[in-house]
Amino acid sequence: MVATSPASTSSTDTLSRTAQPSPRKARKPFSGALYILPSFAILLVVMIIPILTSLYYSFTSYSVLGSPTWIGLDNYQLLSQDPSFVDALIVTLIYTLGAVPLQTFLSLVIAEAVVRRFRNAFGRVVRSVLFVPVVSSLVVAAVVWRAILGTDQGLVNSFLGMLGLPGLNVLGNPNLALAAIILVTVWKNIGYFLVIYYAGILAVPAELYEASSVDGASRIQQLFKITIPSLRPITLLVVILGTIWSFQVFDLVYVMTGGGPGGATATIVVRLYQAGFENFQMGYASAMAMILFVIVVAIAIVQRKVLSDD
Amino acid sequence: MTELTTDSRVDRPTETHKTSRHDLKNDASRGTVARHPSSGDVAWAVALGALVLLAALPFVFMAVTSVQETMRMTATLNTADFTLDNYVRLFLENKFAQALLTSVIVVVIACVLNIVVCSMAAFAFEKNPFPGSEAVFWIYIATMMVPGQVTLIPLYGITGDLGLLNTHLALALPVVNAFGVFLIRQFMKGIPNDLLDAARIDGATDFRIFLRIVIPLVRPVIVALAVFTFLSTWNDFLWPLVSITDAGMETVTLAAANLQGRFTTDYGLVMAGATVTFLVPLTLYVLLQRQFVEGIVSSGVKG
Repeated sequence: MVATSPASTSSTDTLSRTAQPSPRKARKPFSGALYILPSFAILLVVMIIPILTSLYYSFTSYSVLGSPTWIGLDNYQLLSQDPSFVDALIVTLIYTLGAVPLQTFLSLVIAEAVVRRFRNAFGRVVRSVLFVPVVSSLVVAAVVWRAILGTDQGLVNSFLGMLGLPGLNVLGNPNLALAAIILVTVWKNIGYFLVIYYAGILAVPAELYEASSVDGASRIQQLFKITIPSLRPITLLVVILGTIWSFQVFDLVYVMTGGGPGGATATIVVRLYQAGFENFQMGYASAMAMILFVIVVAIAIVQRKVLSDD
Repeated sequence: MTELTTDSRVDRPTETHKTSRHDLKNDASRGTVARHPSSGDVAWAVALGALVLLAALPFVFMAVTSVQETMRMTATLNTADFTLDNYVRLFLENKFAQALLTSVIVVVIACVLNIVVCSMAAFAFEKNPFPGSEAVFWIYIATMMVPGQVTLIPLYGITGDLGLLNTHLALALPVVNAFGVFLIRQFMKGIPNDLLDAARIDGATDFRIFLRIVIPLVRPVIVALAVFTFLSTWNDFLWPLVSITDAGMETVTLAAANLQGRFTTDYGLVMAGATVTFLVPLTLYVLLQRQFVEGIVSSGVKG
């Protein structure tokens, strides 16, 4: 995901090693291990042990007070029959299907317009300001948008009241609440993907556009025949990243609606949090975590597959 | 990706670009225009202008509401209602200064820790490998795929067992991530091994080479990692929400969310908390715009 700096010099390295007695050989073979130790110790405590423990907990019945009791696959079986978890999967899927295509499409179209038409100060302002929501924390975004869309004294309702219209409780309406969260997600993410697409479009060879202009291609034709095909790997990255983020959504939902109304916006992680830290069913919550893990890994594998097909 | 996002680099001169540059010159010097902005340009300028407003206005409303005597969210600044009372209450009654301090300490610990341990590991993997180090690196890479929520429950238990709950260290430790190792290692590939071998012949120790040669050369990527670490730590919500039970140890982000929980309709106060929480990353973004964009986009961090 990260661009490499100039290529590794391993081949010249081997050459010099055979040519002359390398100073590298004289050193203790495991001196490097010492440098890895601090990060490995931390990763062991905060990642590796927790992952394995989470897997173990998912096969147990465990509340914070007692100790875990092995119950095999019971948690997974319960989950498959738990309507609130099945609903959470569906809500998360709808959220993803709403947010990802929209933010991908908008950031591509905006990037294209900025590159083609506004490679000037105005274009820079557009890119810089659209990036501001990216810098803000999700909690701030959620608090502010809740105050705009939310209940009685919210901005939207004040405005509707001024026009003499009946109030509209966006976040209290089961259908509108999820749509609102999707739109806030798109609002938050566009600047991020815009930067990625902007760089990508700049990297498309100019000759392609020049040649097609000579042949009389319109801008729209260039967009569909040159820009979009050339950006395929970038689009893939944008879609995969957006999908993985979407499946992990929590902050926005928790602060804007708390998963309500009536579970209409309760996503996987909201249910995980409720099971683990409100109901103290740590085993059950861990099973949810493992399902989330499998989903995210599956997305990453699909990404790898599609990328290597290119 | 770092390369991709270097948006400050010279724009490739495409045909349209050349023309528009030309236009500007003509405009300025002779007042003639070779290519009028098309109606499409105007429509796009209006649309993008609207999007810029949409991106910025919620933050303007936030700031405007925070300095008024109001129990409503408002879009207009009414000078008669102007007050700093919300901020006074925020800092005096709601211990927001305490939360700010906690966040700053946690961010500093997280940044220092992450940069030190990640650059050390990257140095070993790339420039000082040992038998089996590549296998260890793959374990690191594998941990990058794991969503944070998966480790949440055991992490809570482990932190408790270690007696670290409600400490700055407990908030900072989980920030350390194999991604930093990966990022710095990629950058270190660009340092010629001959350079390091030459230093070894001159009798420099590994540590000296690491500190005096490698670290200065990877400075740009360390800045990017610092930005990424700062932002993900400052904005982190789920881990503090779960692990902080002592109100005196709330981070700003958690405190801002809790304000809303307790004072739902006291919009002035809630917006003051959100404004303070937002101003710190915003200020840094304005000051270090290029590093921010690179650091964030190269990392796939979620704010």
